[in-house]
Amino acid sequence: MWATVAALAAITAYGLFTLDSNGVNIPDAIGETLRNFRTIFLHPESRRLSAGAAAWELLLTVAQAILITLFSGLVSLGLGLLGARNLAPKPLTQAIKAVIAVVRAIPSILWVLIFAVAAGLGSTAAVLGLSMHSIGYLTKAYAESFESLDYGVVEALQAVGANWWQIVFQAVLPSSSTYLLSWTFLRFEMNFTNVVAMGAAAGAAGIGFDLFMASSLYFDLGELGLITYFVLAFAILLEIVAIRVKAVLKER
Amino acid sequence: MAVLEIHNLTKYYKAHLALDDVSLKLRSGEIVAVIGRSGAGKTTLLRCVNRMIEPSSGRIEFEGVDIRRLGRSALREYRTHIGMIFQHFNLVPRQTVMENVLNGRLGHKSTLAGIAGIYSADEHSMARSVLEQLDLADQAEKRCDQLSGGQKQRVGIARALVQEPRLILCDEPIASLDPRSAKAIMDYLFRISRKMDISILINLHQVDVAIKYADRIVGIREGCVVFDGDPKNLKKRKVAEIYGCDVDDIHFEDSTGGDAMFN
Repeated sequence: MWATVAALAAITAYGLFTLDSNGVNIPDAIGETLRNFRTIFLHPESRRLSAGAAAWELLLTVAQAILITLFSGLVSLGLGLLGARNLAPKPLTQAIKAVIAVVRAIPSILWVLIFAVAAGLGSTAAVLGLSMHSIGYLTKAYAESFESLDYGVVEALQAVGANWWQIVFQAVLPSSSTYLLSWTFLRFEMNFTNVVAMGAAAGAAGIGFDLFMASSLYFDLGELGLITYFVLAFAILLEIVAIRVKAVLKER
Repeated sequence: MAVLEIHNLTKYYKAHLALDDVSLKLRSGEIVAVIGRSGAGKTTLLRCVNRMIEPSSGRIEFEGVDIRRLGRSALREYRTHIGMIFQHFNLVPRQTVMENVLNGRLGHKSTLAGIAGIYSADEHSMARSVLEQLDLADQAEKRCDQLSGGQKQRVGIARALVQEPRLILCDEPIASLDPRSAKAIMDYLFRISRKMDISILINLHQVDVAIKYADRIVGIREGCVVFDGDPKNLKKRKVAEIYGCDVDDIHFEDSTGGDAMFN
């Protein structure tokens, strides 16, 4: 272990000494960065973006997140049922889990770029690309929720002569609905932040695009700060709603 | 008339022999208790009857039909005639008592009606009358995870009864219940069998319970039937053989009495 630490320390030291700082004065740079942060976080203001426009852009962002969650949720429900060990034949579940693992291993930004080939950079590519990663995530989460189910219940309904569809709708889904909803909501929050990032990185519409414009086109740090706070406030709002929804579901 | 006839049933799990040439007959309305140690093959025998486990060889006839030849949909139709009751009840915990009981009708319904959970007025009134018989009428709207063990098992029985079965398979139905609930469950099963002329094949751990309620007892040891006969003829020596232990370790009174709790 010490050999590893020593090797890593040596590499770090070598990296530091050979770093090409390109004429940047490090103390000055740190000071400038801090000053920029101060402008962003302490003087948020808006010159171009009105409150109404910002709210509209935020709505666009949320709409994309909802679309992604809805789309991937439906696909994942089907794949999750077929990927659960207690509900589908073993070869099928293994195939689905393998494919889903690959889908998840590819970063979401890459998925967006892949779809951008066909759809062009923009909200279509963003929704499709983010849906792929979302499907990879939700399918795994759903399948595991189904697998944690007491298999005796499924057996009992097989014994009364119920078929697969009836068992899924009368036993599997009612028993796992709480898990399904809480996973879906968690993913919705992740999709929301991802859409913001894709707005900035892939030109998808929404608040993320304004963020991108404010920072790299107008160099308007005050507006950057305002948008950041806007997104933060909305994320907190989502979190509160999520906690409420879960509390209600637990009672039922 | 025999409801169920099992001929030379054998079941292998890979190389392990779980059931070895088991033959058994069950007449209409008869209660047959299967006793034996854990792992002797009781559960395997029971589950071969409704093909929750596929037999390796042998013949199982239900009302004259060889059930090993049934295809998938015929098998589902066949299972509707056979109720099954489990040690751990196996109810849907988040559904109400009524919903769980109605689940017993799923095999009689079309796929779509079953998915949507649409039941006819007849089915509702049938479920209600079954719940009444089991003294559960006032619990109908309660969620099943709020019930006691004994109540849950009664819901399990109700679910089996709305199938309008001709045979009920009971896999250790009282093994996880307290003695009082256990006695109540056995009394319900006994009454149902007598009143509705339903045959019952029941796995039991407790020899005294088997002797008290069963018309016939089948003892299984390592997959083989070592006793099949009237409870009166089950002697301590035989019980010791079934359970593979010393005669002195058997604590029940043969032919005459039984455990105090069950008298």
